[in-house]
Amino acid sequence: MQLIIQNLSKTYSNGVQALKDVSLTINKGMFGLLGPNGAGKSSLMRTIATLQEADSGSISLGNIDVLTQKEEVRKILGYLPQEFGVYPKIDAVTLLDHLAVLKGISNKGERKGLVEALLHKTNLWNARNKNLGGYSGGMKQRFGIAQALIANPKLIIVDEPTAGLDPAERNRFLNLLSEIGENTIVILSTHIVEDVKELCTDMAIINKGQVLYKGSPLDAIAEVEGKVWTKTIEKAELESYRQNFRIISERLIGGRPVISVLSHEQPEGGFTRTAADLEDVYFTHIFGNTQKEVAA
Amino acid sequence: MFKNIFLFELKYRKARAANYIYFAIMFLLCFLAVTTDVVQIGGAVGQVKENAPIVIGQMIAIMGFFMTLISSAIMGVAVLRDFEHNTEAILFSTPIKKFHYLMGRFWGSYVVLLLVAASLPIAFMLGDLWPMREADRLLPFNLATYWQPYFIFVVPNMFFTGAIFFASGALSRKSIVIYTQGILLLVLYIGTSSLLRDLEQKEIAALCDPFGVRAFSFYTQYWTPGERNSLQIPLDGYILYNRLLWMGVGIVILIINHFAFSFNVVRSSVFRPRAVKDEALRIKPEETKIPVAQQFANLSTHIGQLVKLTLFYFKMVFKEIPFIAIVISGILLLFVNAINLNELFGTSSYPTTYTILGLLSGFNLFFLIIAVLYSGELVWKERAVNLNLIIDAMPMPDFIALISKFLGMLLVYIVLIAGLIVAGMLVQISYGYYNFELGIYIGTLYTETLAFLVLYTMLSMFIHVMVNNKFLGFAVAVAFFILVSFFGQIGLEHPLFQFGSGSLGTYSDMNVYGHFVTPFSWFQVYWFAFVVLLFGIAVVFSSRGSEDVISMRWKAGKLRLSKQLVTLIVCAVAVFLSSGFYIYYNTNVVNRYTNKDGREGLQVDYEKTLKKYEFIAQLRITDVNLKVDLYPSKRDYSAEGYFILKNKTNEPISDIHIQENALNYIKTEKLEFNRKFGVKEKFDRFKYTIYQLAEPLQPGDSVQMNFKTSFVTNGFTDNNASTTSVIYNGTFFNNTYLPSLGYNENYEMSDDNDRKEKKLPEKERMMERNDPRGLSQSLFGDDADHVRFEIVLSTDKDQLAIAPGYLQKSWEEKDRKYFQYKMDAPMCNFFSIISARYEVKRDKWNDVNLEIYYHKGHEYNLDKMMEGMKDALNYYTKHFSPYQYRQVRIMEFPRYATFAQSFANTIPFSEGIGFIAKIDDPDKDIDYVYYVTAHEVAHQWWGHQVMEAGVKGNAMLSESMSQYSALMVLKHKFTPEIIERYLKYELDRYLSGRAGERKKEQPLELVEGQGYIHYQKASLIFFALQDYISEDSVNAAFRRFNQTWRFKDAPYPTSADLLKEIRKVTPDSLQYLIKDMFETITLFENKTDSAFYKEKSKNEFEVTVYASAEKLRADSTGIETPIAINDWIDVGVYGKNKAGKDSLLYLKKHKITQKQNQFKILVKAKPRKAGIDPLHKLIDRHSNDNTKGLVAKR
Repeated sequence: MQLIIQNLSKTYSNGVQALKDVSLTINKGMFGLLGPNGAGKSSLMRTIATLQEADSGSISLGNIDVLTQKEEVRKILGYLPQEFGVYPKIDAVTLLDHLAVLKGISNKGERKGLVEALLHKTNLWNARNKNLGGYSGGMKQRFGIAQALIANPKLIIVDEPTAGLDPAERNRFLNLLSEIGENTIVILSTHIVEDVKELCTDMAIINKGQVLYKGSPLDAIAEVEGKVWTKTIEKAELESYRQNFRIISERLIGGRPVISVLSHEQPEGGFTRTAADLEDVYFTHIFGNTQKEVAA
Repeated sequence: MFKNIFLFELKYRKARAANYIYFAIMFLLCFLAVTTDVVQIGGAVGQVKENAPIVIGQMIAIMGFFMTLISSAIMGVAVLRDFEHNTEAILFSTPIKKFHYLMGRFWGSYVVLLLVAASLPIAFMLGDLWPMREADRLLPFNLATYWQPYFIFVVPNMFFTGAIFFASGALSRKSIVIYTQGILLLVLYIGTSSLLRDLEQKEIAALCDPFGVRAFSFYTQYWTPGERNSLQIPLDGYILYNRLLWMGVGIVILIINHFAFSFNVVRSSVFRPRAVKDEALRIKPEETKIPVAQQFANLSTHIGQLVKLTLFYFKMVFKEIPFIAIVISGILLLFVNAINLNELFGTSSYPTTYTILGLLSGFNLFFLIIAVLYSGELVWKERAVNLNLIIDAMPMPDFIALISKFLGMLLVYIVLIAGLIVAGMLVQISYGYYNFELGIYIGTLYTETLAFLVLYTMLSMFIHVMVNNKFLGFAVAVAFFILVSFFGQIGLEHPLFQFGSGSLGTYSDMNVYGHFVTPFSWFQVYWFAFVVLLFGIAVVFSSRGSEDVISMRWKAGKLRLSKQLVTLIVCAVAVFLSSGFYIYYNTNVVNRYTNKDGREGLQVDYEKTLKKYEFIAQLRITDVNLKVDLYPSKRDYSAEGYFILKNKTNEPISDIHIQENALNYIKTEKLEFNRKFGVKEKFDRFKYTIYQLAEPLQPGDSVQMNFKTSFVTNGFTDNNASTTSVIYNGTFFNNTYLPSLGYNENYEMSDDNDRKEKKLPEKERMMERNDPRGLSQSLFGDDADHVRFEIVLSTDKDQLAIAPGYLQKSWEEKDRKYFQYKMDAPMCNFFSIISARYEVKRDKWNDVNLEIYYHKGHEYNLDKMMEGMKDALNYYTKHFSPYQYRQVRIMEFPRYATFAQSFANTIPFSEGIGFIAKIDDPDKDIDYVYYVTAHEVAHQWWGHQVMEAGVKGNAMLSESMSQYSALMVLKHKFTPEIIERYLKYELDRYLSGRAGERKKEQPLELVEGQGYIHYQKASLIFFALQDYISEDSVNAAFRRFNQTWRFKDAPYPTSADLLKEIRKVTPDSLQYLIKDMFETITLFENKTDSAFYKEKSKNEFEVTVYASAEKLRADSTGIETPIAINDWIDVGVYGKNKAGKDSLLYLKKHKITQKQNQFKILVKAKPRKAGIDPLHKLIDRHSNDNTKGLVAKR
């Protein structure tokens, strides 16, 4: 099964163009969607999740036309939105069971087993009888993951799933996803580059509604390999470097700024060549000058 | 510091748009209320001007009550907002003092609140200066009129409610508490108003009302129209006490708040945290395998989903704290109201099921609140908690979400109604009544009430879906209700335009739901189809996912137009249209539909066209001979027979004017005379025909008029044209349904304001007392004097049909029952025709047959009625004259009307007033069944033996004399305390009645159909009169009056003729009474200022009373002028008898000639209280200050 997005565009009523002619093909496995806040990741994911209309373009999932055969999509969909809430006065078991009914798990025994397994899986078992209103951010997020996994979905869309998780939970969750991703389409949006690098076989970078890059993370890294130069500078110098070089990233190490620049040759004395990682790719596309090359 | 916080609060609030919106809303409501008819809050009645201080005061007080909602919004968040915005930690760590913080916030918010509330007086002020207002309905502009009530009511109310909301917000730190607090205040308010209904608790109610509205109406209840136009609202008496009390409560609340409020951010929890059990079993998430569960998408799965969701939403509503608060408040209110069920003179009714249903209907307001609030809440539930995206991505059909929410609400209603039924039965049990009629409970609540809830819920859900904004949705829902109520005023009066129209009408034990069921059902089908249509549209447009724009929702919605949904919508449209057409066919094609304008136009045209015939010489009926066939099951009858008409004038008459009854059901099929005649002129619109005899009828000659009229019910009508007189069980109509002679003045418009609008001249209510035209006709009209009467009635086999007269024979024929009645002497031209399934109770008084025809199950008070008839016959035959008939019959009729009426030896008596009255304690409860019976029997003398002229003062002869007669029967039967209690009610009703007079208050001798005068004032006057001149003297006057006028044809007597007799029996020293009581409106202001006693010896006590007495005379608007006093007034001293009750030690009339008086009285037992006019024989607006407890003085 393949998810094919073609020429998808969407403009909101306030004039913001959320998606500009987006085309992507997504295969089984983990697909990472990288982009800064407001890039259009969530709009794209909501459109795939049947929750938003597109102005033009098409989406197909196998034989299903996602934009019109919504019911068919929903049957095989697991969706975790970026932000969500819960009924505060209800416990996790009740709500998960409730959602399982809505998913169409009509056998009571099966549902019970499923709910229990999901609560175990997301490490919520001890808090299962507590009102959801009293859950911490991380617990709530885990609950969201649990509900997205009801009924073995064929298409899983998770929007910023690791936000608010502690490192151990994050690992556990990513493992879980990759386990599932073996025979499922999993679309994961994030602004954390690490997530994508560790898990995804395929990825896309989008910003301002446009796809800036699509391909595998390894290919992406190869593209900039050997072109990343870094230099540790003084704070006072930062402004002049900004003007003279196309800086793709700035970070502080030991309180001093370290800047990265993309270049075929050493841009200036003091720059050292560094092994490229996905983050450099990301910043390159977001801030860098290679936009045209990629888009072309 | 205080100053900084206070000023900061003002600055902060200045920037909040909400405050301006509140101001604008209140301003608009008030402004529209005085300048248009769109908004109606109180208002002026009759002679009271539209900007009279009391009218403006009432409106400000009422609107001030609604200001409570704004008060909660403004005051509640003053401290709460720091918690909601999580700024408390920052704020509380600064070095401000708690007192400064709280007071700064409170006073800052309070000032803002007062500024918002200033919208009320400003709006009324501008509204009254508005150029479009009618100048002759306004008083000259006076600033105090607007601002005095603001300072008396609004400022303290806002302080009190503000203190509550401020404290509850600060202490609970939860906004939910503020909402529930508002509802509790509402309950307290409604609670005091139902307490107020019982007279003796008016003072308490006046104090209890936190808004002062009750105190205000208590203080001004007896203000006459004249006073209403001239007096400003005072800060005095109970208004002052009330204000001080509740301001004090507000201060106490603020003090409590100060000490209870803590500056700590985290409060120690009231509950100890529950120890968390560590799971013995360690779970390893990694090792968990997620089992495969089968996913279904078939019909049974969807039904399962629907059921599950329905139950889910049902439970969700029941868990809501405001919901619980609303329900508890509603039920509390029911129980409070259950304390005094259906009271009349402070006496309750048996808690029959329909009485309880009336009680339960008090919950409808709460139902409406629940329906509007929670249908909206549920529509928004997922979006409110931000779970919508997850739920919306679930694979369930689109309609399930909305339908399950609707069904959840439906289940809420079903359960609440079941709860109400249980509550109703509990009330019945508490009264010791065990005849539970579950069928009636279910038949009313699960049809009428549930239907109204279903309609409003679906409508409100539709609005929320379409508007797609929660708060705007609520606003639109409320606006819709206002708009619909406004439909009627722009001419869309037809029930097809009135959302949710169609009612089951009044339930009657006799007629059950009667003929109301059919139209009710059709209207419900019609409206249900309408809301289903809306609901179908809502399903299409309901937001699923993150799209909010309507065009996008339509894009998504188009995909939902499945075959089933389209079928549903098409069916709904089809049912809506076809039921609408069917209703229209019934109300407008089969029956005639008129709207208000049409009816008024007809009245106006009738008067303009035919008024000229009002006093032309007409024949008079001398014989009535009828055959009336009643078909109760079809609601039809046909009446055939003849009148003999005689020329009693001195001129020949050839034109005979016939007015048929205006009801559309009634058709005249035949009308002819036994002499040669023709039709001279016919006014079909008015059902008025002028016939002309070929040869004029000479004086003294007669002509026979043969006619046949029929009453035919076809289909059903709208409510305005509906009639409850010819029905399945309990048919009751009178001779006005038959053709009558000449112009009928009753068809004219009577209200002067309406008449003015239609450019008709003002109208006198009655003819002058010396008008010869009036003197020549009796109170029953100018169609006849006395008539000979004979009738054959037939009806369904299981019913009895009754008319005046003696039963000659009865027989059965072709499955119908026949009854022949005949009067052996002429009677007045006023007769009833009655048919129902009756039980009969019979008894005898001397040789008079006493019969009560009653509905099975209504046996409660039959003995009291029998006794009432016997005692009344006894007294009246002994003191007035012999009884002219050989029978008295009482027959029950359904409670569509609540009165009893006296026809010749025949007294129809409503199911609603006497048959289910519950007289528990004969020492305390006024036995009004006995009393009403005695009153109606008295009419056999006053009205039937002596018919009075149809001129001003006429009711003093029939009604007032019957009041007196019944009161005397009562006096000899019950204790003086009961009589005193009864008179106190009469005094209250008289004083309230004159306060609401629309035209002019008349003295008793010139009363013009004013019930508060000819019933209530007359009771007081005649009771006092017999006290002054003795019962025997009054009876003697009545007896002589009876002897002079008994059974006479025209000319008829007037009140002057009775007063002539009363004068004869009144001693010279008391002749002034006649002027005070009958010829003028005279009031007293009697008060005991102080009183004490000295113990002279063991059984000799000297009581000293300082009392003031004033005598006042009122004009027709109620403006009073003091007049010199020279009257005999009771002075009394009370002690205690052995039973511990008050008993009179001394009661004697003293001649009083000045305002300030001192009385020294010697009594032989220890006195307790003393005073002037202690028994309230004189009309006194402050009757509670007549006596005072005594203090001992050495």
